[in-house]
Amino acid sequence: MRVEIDGTDVEVQDGTTVLQAVRAAGGDVPTLCFDERQEPFGACRVCMVGVRGAPGPMPACTTPCRDGMRVDTADETARRIAAATVELVLSELPEAPAENTELAVIARDLGVDGERLRWPGARHERPDDLRHPYLALRQEWCISCGRCVRACDEVQGAFALTATGRGFASNIAAGMDQGFRESTCVSCGACADTCPTGAITEISLLGMIER
Amino acid sequence: MTQDVTTTCGYCGVGCRLEAHATDGRVVSISPALDGPANKGHTCLKGRFAHQFSRHRERLSTPLIRADGGDLRPASWDEAIALIVSELTRIRDADGPDAIAGLASSRATNEDCYVMQRMMRAAIGTHNIDNCSRVCHSPTSWALRKSLGLSGATGSFDDIEAADAAILIGANPTEAHPVAGARIKQATLRGCQLVTIDPRRIELADYGVLHLAPRPGTNAALVLGLAHVVARDGLTDEAFLAQRTEGYAQTRALLEDYTPVDVQRISGVPAADLERAAHIYAQAAEASVMWGLGVTEHRYGSEVVRLICNLALMCGKVGRPGSALLPLRGQNNVQGSSDMGALPDTFTGYQSVGDEDVARRFEQRWGVTMKRERGLKIPEMFDAAVAGDLKAMFIFGEDVAQTDPDTTHVIEALEALEFLVVQDIFENETTRYADVVLPASSFLEKGGTFTNAERRIQLVAPAIDPPGDARTDFEILTTISAALGHDMGFASPADAMDEIAALTPDWAGVSHERIGRRGLQWPVAADGTDSPILYAETFALPGGRAQLAALPYKPPGSEVCAEFGVILVTGRRLEHYNAGTMTRRTANLDLVGAEWLEIHPDDAARLWIEDGALVSVRSAHGRIELHARVTTRIEPGHVFTAFHFPEVRTNLLIGPSADVNTSCPEYKVVAVDVRPVSEEPRRTPAIAAAG
Amino acid sequence: MSRNLVEIIRRHHELGAPTALEVLKDAVADHGEITDDDRRRAAARSGLPEAAVHGVSTFYDDLLAPRGERHISVCTGTACFAATADAHVAELRDGLGCELGERSADGSVSLAETVCLGYCHSSPAVREGDIVDAGPGAVRRVLGGAAAPAREPPPRSALDGPALLAIGHDWAGLSRAIATLTPDELLEQVKDAEVRGRGGAGFPAGSKWEFARNAEGERKFIVANGDEGDPGSYIDKLLMEERPELLLEGMALAGYAVGADHGFVLTRSEYPRSKPALEWAVVVARRAGLLGPSVLGSEFAFDVTIVEGAGSYVVGEETALLACLQGLRGTVSARPPFPAQRGLHGLPTVVNNVETLCNIPLVAREGAEHYAQLSPGPTSGTKLVCFNERFERPGVYEVSFATPVRELCQELAGGLRDGHTIKALQIGGPLGGILPASLLDTPFDFDDLAAVGCMLGHGGIVAFDETTDMRALATHLLHFGATESCGKCFPCRIGLRRAHEMFAADGDVDRERVEALLETLELGSLCAHGSGVPAPIRSLLEHFPDELGVA
Repeated sequence: MRVEIDGTDVEVQDGTTVLQAVRAAGGDVPTLCFDERQEPFGACRVCMVGVRGAPGPMPACTTPCRDGMRVDTADETARRIAAATVELVLSELPEAPAENTELAVIARDLGVDGERLRWPGARHERPDDLRHPYLALRQEWCISCGRCVRACDEVQGAFALTATGRGFASNIAAGMDQGFRESTCVSCGACADTCPTGAITEISLLGMIER
Repeated sequence: MTQDVTTTCGYCGVGCRLEAHATDGRVVSISPALDGPANKGHTCLKGRFAHQFSRHRERLSTPLIRADGGDLRPASWDEAIALIVSELTRIRDADGPDAIAGLASSRATNEDCYVMQRMMRAAIGTHNIDNCSRVCHSPTSWALRKSLGLSGATGSFDDIEAADAAILIGANPTEAHPVAGARIKQATLRGCQLVTIDPRRIELADYGVLHLAPRPGTNAALVLGLAHVVARDGLTDEAFLAQRTEGYAQTRALLEDYTPVDVQRISGVPAADLERAAHIYAQAAEASVMWGLGVTEHRYGSEVVRLICNLALMCGKVGRPGSALLPLRGQNNVQGSSDMGALPDTFTGYQSVGDEDVARRFEQRWGVTMKRERGLKIPEMFDAAVAGDLKAMFIFGEDVAQTDPDTTHVIEALEALEFLVVQDIFENETTRYADVVLPASSFLEKGGTFTNAERRIQLVAPAIDPPGDARTDFEILTTISAALGHDMGFASPADAMDEIAALTPDWAGVSHERIGRRGLQWPVAADGTDSPILYAETFALPGGRAQLAALPYKPPGSEVCAEFGVILVTGRRLEHYNAGTMTRRTANLDLVGAEWLEIHPDDAARLWIEDGALVSVRSAHGRIELHARVTTRIEPGHVFTAFHFPEVRTNLLIGPSADVNTSCPEYKVVAVDVRPVSEEPRRTPAIAAAG
Repeated sequence: MSRNLVEIIRRHHELGAPTALEVLKDAVADHGEITDDDRRRAAARSGLPEAAVHGVSTFYDDLLAPRGERHISVCTGTACFAATADAHVAELRDGLGCELGERSADGSVSLAETVCLGYCHSSPAVREGDIVDAGPGAVRRVLGGAAAPAREPPPRSALDGPALLAIGHDWAGLSRAIATLTPDELLEQVKDAEVRGRGGAGFPAGSKWEFARNAEGERKFIVANGDEGDPGSYIDKLLMEERPELLLEGMALAGYAVGADHGFVLTRSEYPRSKPALEWAVVVARRAGLLGPSVLGSEFAFDVTIVEGAGSYVVGEETALLACLQGLRGTVSARPPFPAQRGLHGLPTVVNNVETLCNIPLVAREGAEHYAQLSPGPTSGTKLVCFNERFERPGVYEVSFATPVRELCQELAGGLRDGHTIKALQIGGPLGGILPASLLDTPFDFDDLAAVGCMLGHGGIVAFDETTDMRALATHLLHFGATESCGKCFPCRIGLRRAHEMFAADGDVDRERVEALLETLELGSLCAHGSGVPAPIRSLLEHFPDELGVA
């Protein structure tokens, strides 16, 4: 089938998502909860694009292409929603994310400035867990994007991580909140590899992140 | 200063592609390459985290020479090389070149192995060169060449996702090949019908549809039984057998003796389970067989691999996506070190040293003459050393005193040698006996290629320099060769690869440039076309037909008896790699710091062993002590441990029993006595458990 | 939903394993709380990995609140709020000496918040054990240890001829369908009848059934959504507890049309009588050959399992509901894939609201044309509505669509009690717009209500009288929205929290910021929860700007 991305026609197979079509056309859309090694999740709502005829912006990663679809990745409303969402995400972190994290890069791309007090309100407060020799779990930086849980599920298959809580209290935990070592974790590091904020990261890199 | 390179992991045979990030001469972190063909953006804790060994304070950074007093002292390269040259020359002149033997490292690159075997053959003049595939998959290599023609997997890891069913026998990939294990696990959750065959209930058994737990050493009967059911129930691919194979008639006749009831008697596997397993495999549209050292490290391991080939051929399940035979090669370059001819009977590409045309081609290229008779295999080298016939060895990157079987005999051999050179990255059990120790380079410090279990040749690139005065193995070996009078003239490993391509028909189109990021699966034609799938049209044997073999079951080399009432199976664990020389020098030691013995509750009760107790394990060849853990993952009658810790010198227990065709040691079956070692005397008598 | 976890659950279900949620609920029932040993046991028995079990145990209200010897739940739903402005909550808290969500130090009593108990006709409502007391004396009685079950008013109909509430208990719809219609014909009939979903979305049931019928799968399922969590609504409660066989008949009809051989009903733990009533009806139906391997002697096999939830509003969303049924966290999944293609255990599943399914026997008995004529205007069939305690004659009523709202409130429900006047109504649940008194002439139908920023939703009608403070109402609704957010998508998870913080704080609320937040929620949310909470806030902003304190 054929879809039009920002004015360019692209041929795609049945089952292709709008995000895949955008990338196949050489363009891109910012994403936060998406990892190409995992099934699309649809949680972050940052990959919003405009689709002609749709009632509102659509999330590119979970929207399947339809023949004749016309996509506008620069749609104003879509970008506004994406930026507002990232602003909300920044508001739940203890401070601005380190420059080289995916979240910081997305924020810059969307023009969301690090002016931290735009959304005063509660943040997550938890101590860092550094019990594992390689993996640091810093729950205050978790934005519940689910990528680590899905990496452990869909890529490694150790099922050592889970989302916990509900609503704003959502976070993630290893095992029964016992830390990596007591869980079924096999220390593969797929979680650290995919985490966009450094909530899970290599301990050896912690010093570098702070820098 | 930061350096980012894409390279290939130096741990196991999966061959993950990794992005190594180094700053100021130290590797800071490693992440998986998203486009890695085998790993696709994933890796395991060893490839990802266990790199700190590369700058561990115990890294060898200068040559060492053993002083008369007995200790190793630092020396310069000139001194060390001069000593090596003078000693080897002296021994060669006095006792002939065959009094010298070399052992190449299956962890080293293809180019390293190539120059080592060239050095042994051309500079020294002997075919006494072998590598550690001897002790793991040499049976696979032998059997695949006999049955199908080429010494390698018939497909790729991609066949895992394409298979509707699979048999996994004698392997525990979620621990030993974690990324492949993860792919298999995901495939089973997507509907691949997995049959696991292992005396232990491995993790993948929880995801498969059927688990068979045969007695250790009875694999042949089991595989013959599967074939029997396939033939009996009319599930053979008659057209395939008729058009593409030879030898079915004799095989068919032999199968009469392996009914499910017969097999149950021999192996302990229930007849109904055997039948079900055969149906699952044979009735699937596409089905693959994967196996590991639980098949090969046996007295008749090579025959079992031939029987596995029989099964696949009978069902026509070879040469298509999803229908592959995949031996899970252990080391990162065990495939490659054999491909490179670091073997006593073949040159590169398994071309026989006895083949006149082949030998002449090599003689011409290297400017030397060579014998047509094969050299010594590793076990033969130790025997010859003890007998006084072998006087010198050059051991490159293998800790034989820890990893080879019958440790007592190995040590005896090493002590008997007049001259021993060891080239390695750390001092280890083997360097205790060395006269010269050369500081080598790790996979993070060199360039070249590795060949993974998919026959995929992939590039290795250095992220950091070798520490101190250590040099790349390629440089060391070519320098020594030149000092011995045979200058190979290679400016770099890429040059060596060009020569390999020129001398090896199956590697004709291989070059560093062509390998790129995707790698090349040999055979590689001159135009660069590689081979993800083998045998789609024809087998690599005369007439293009595969060969079935009628090989009956014979018992293993070790069986239980009054004195040794339990069978010990040895294997690997996730967090450590083989001798543990690298992983024990990383924080992996923090995760798993000691070895343990797995024992079934029935045996533990019978032998008065409590969970966590210290036990002794004794065989006819040695005795070790370690702590026990009681688990229902294994069957009564056998125990399991690994060999990653020198403090628990597991291989002391393994005797000389080995594969009849390849001399691969029977690590997987040894009769032992297990009993508790009291740390404190018992003050109250203990009552025996009921039943 | 994780494909792998669903597959693991499916495999264990085939072996008869319980879900992790079932094991955890049993643990709470047994010893009042959940320990790590309980989690390990739940993992071992259900096959779900331990980490996932931990995640489940931290999601549901019933599993989180520790239980004392006396466990008391106080309803903080919108109807109870409308009745007392939550004064009853403070009274109970002070009287027991226990905070919400906590257990007293000596373990003798615990107090939890719950939304909603379904006694909106007699607010405020308080539950102790399985007794729900309601009315002005309820708190006093509970504090005195003398909780008494509250009376529930009988349902009434505003129609004359046969309709939903008048259907006999004879399963005639199912016998007629099996005897005279093929599955395809029944499906066509349901499509022709244009049965719109009664749960809130209004999606045509026939279309949903058709998707499932055409989907590939070795088995198919019918799931009845009994998770009527909307505060102010007790319609499905009535149907499940008083007319359970009508629901079962509707499910069997759906199964027949779709090709499903099994159905599940998800009931609420806040309605302790629903599951037993349905289970008894299943037993009776099996004995009469109406459910089982051979329904009415035919080749059609259909049976039903009743599953009770564990305290979460959002599992009323169909993908979250399927997660809960399987014992997972009740979070929402992106669609596609839709449940009709990949639902329970990864197989094609129809999820319909209880009332929707209860409409099917009527269609099967009387035909599509008759069904369409039950209401003037574009919508077919009838609707059950219910009123809150503020009204003179609260209860469940069967009405025709397009009846003016004023008629429903004044003539059916008798207007407000004790001389109070209607300030505004919230129709359809906490995500429904607020209808000011000036718009009471709006017809009660999907499009008419949508045109004034309201919704028909599930049909609950909650009146706020002149004493209700609209800012407090906005704060109440945002608190509900934030608490019940599943936490998956970012706008809802964080945005609702921030919105609540803004309104709960003292002083004016920044208009620009609120507008931006409402837009982000409406356009960015993953499901109707996040995108729906703004609706009542927008109505309040439009119709009661001075009271809200937005500048």
